[in-house]
Amino acid sequence: MTPSANPLPYTDTKPVGAADFYFAINATFRFILNKSGIEGLRRYWTDLGARYFAPVTARWSAGGLPAVAEYWRAFFAAEPGSDVEVSADNASVTVNVRVCPAIAHLRKGGREIVPCFCQQCYFIGEAMAAPAGLTVRVEGGNGSCRQTFLSRNAAPAPQDLACIKEASC
Amino acid sequence: MLGCYDFCGHYEWTFEWLRQQGGEPLVRTYWDEAIRRDSQRHAAALIAAKGIEGMKEYWGHTLADEGAGYHCTATDAVYRIDMFACPSKGFLTRNGLRQYHDYCDHCMGWIGLLLKECNWVVDHEHNHCGQCWWELRRTDDPTPPSKPSELSGEHDVRKRADWLPPHETMDVYERANDPDDKKTRKTG
Repeated sequence: MTPSANPLPYTDTKPVGAADFYFAINATFRFILNKSGIEGLRRYWTDLGARYFAPVTARWSAGGLPAVAEYWRAFFAAEPGSDVEVSADNASVTVNVRVCPAIAHLRKGGREIVPCFCQQCYFIGEAMAAPAGLTVRVEGGNGSCRQTFLSRNAAPAPQDLACIKEASC
Repeated sequence: MLGCYDFCGHYEWTFEWLRQQGGEPLVRTYWDEAIRRDSQRHAAALIAAKGIEGMKEYWGHTLADEGAGYHCTATDAVYRIDMFACPSKGFLTRNGLRQYHDYCDHCMGWIGLLLKECNWVVDHEHNHCGQCWWELRRTDDPTPPSKPSELSGEHDVRKRADWLPPHETMDVYERANDPDDKKTRKTG
C-alpha cells in the first residue's frame, strides 16, 4: 500500500504497534484525571481528536462513511490482539469491537485500568467526526463495544455516557 | 481510541498539550509520575532487583518490540546502549510531527529518575536525529564515559558518519539523572 493510499495518517515501518504502549496511554489518562479531573481529561480527549487527528477528519470529510470504514479497518489491523469487525451501509459504519486490544493488554499486564478509560472512544471519536458532518455513538466497553458512526443529519439521540461501561481489571 | 501503532505521535503531542496547561514543570511531573512510576513500573522493578541483568531483560525486549536499530553492550559494571535508529524519533521525523520543543528530553525524564532511585547514574548524548548513546553505572563508580569504540567497538554510534549532523544541537549528560541537567553544543 502506498503512503497516499494508506487510510492511516501517520505510518510506521513496523506493521503493528508495541502493546506495552497501552500502559502509557492508561497512565496518561490517570495522570490527567488526577491533575485536572474528569472535565480536564475529556478536554484532553477532545483536543486530541480535533487537532492530532485532524488529518483523519479531513479524509472523512472528503470520503464520507466509506473513508470512516477504511480508517477503522486499517487502525485495528495495526493494533496487536484486536478482534474487530467493521461493517458499513449507506447510513452508518459500525465498528464491532469483540476484543479491545488495549483492555486485553492492560488486564494481561495486571494494570489498574482507569474506570472511565472507555469514554475516550466517544470523546475522541466525536471530536474527529463532528467537523466531517458525522457523529458517533458508543455502547458497551470494558473489553468489547460497538461504535456507530453516522451523519449528524440523522440526528440520533445524544450519547448517553451511562451506555459506556466502566473499565476494570 | 488511542492506538499503540502511532503511540509516539500522540505521546509527543501530549507533551505540548501538558506544557500549555501547566508549563514545563507539569511535563516533568508527567514523565516522573505517569511514565516512570506508573506505565514503566515494570522497568524499575527489574532494574532495582537485578541491576544490569534487569536492564538486559527490560531493554532487550522493549527496543526489539518497538523496532529500534540499536546495540547493547554489558559488562559487570556498565550497561551501554548505542541507538542508531530511534523508533520513536524516527516515527515523528518520517511523519513530520513536532509539537513539543525537545521530544528527546522524555527519555531522561523518566529513565534518569528511575536510575537515580536505583543508585545508577547516566552518561548520555543525543543528536536529535534519532541517534544516541547511554552508559549506565552505579552511583559509586567514578569511571568516566568510554572513548569511542572502547566499549561497543564497531557498534559505537559515535563512529558513524551521520553522528554529528550539520547545524544540529547535541545534548550531553554527564553523570546525570535529571532531564534538565544537560549541556548543549552545536555541530559544525
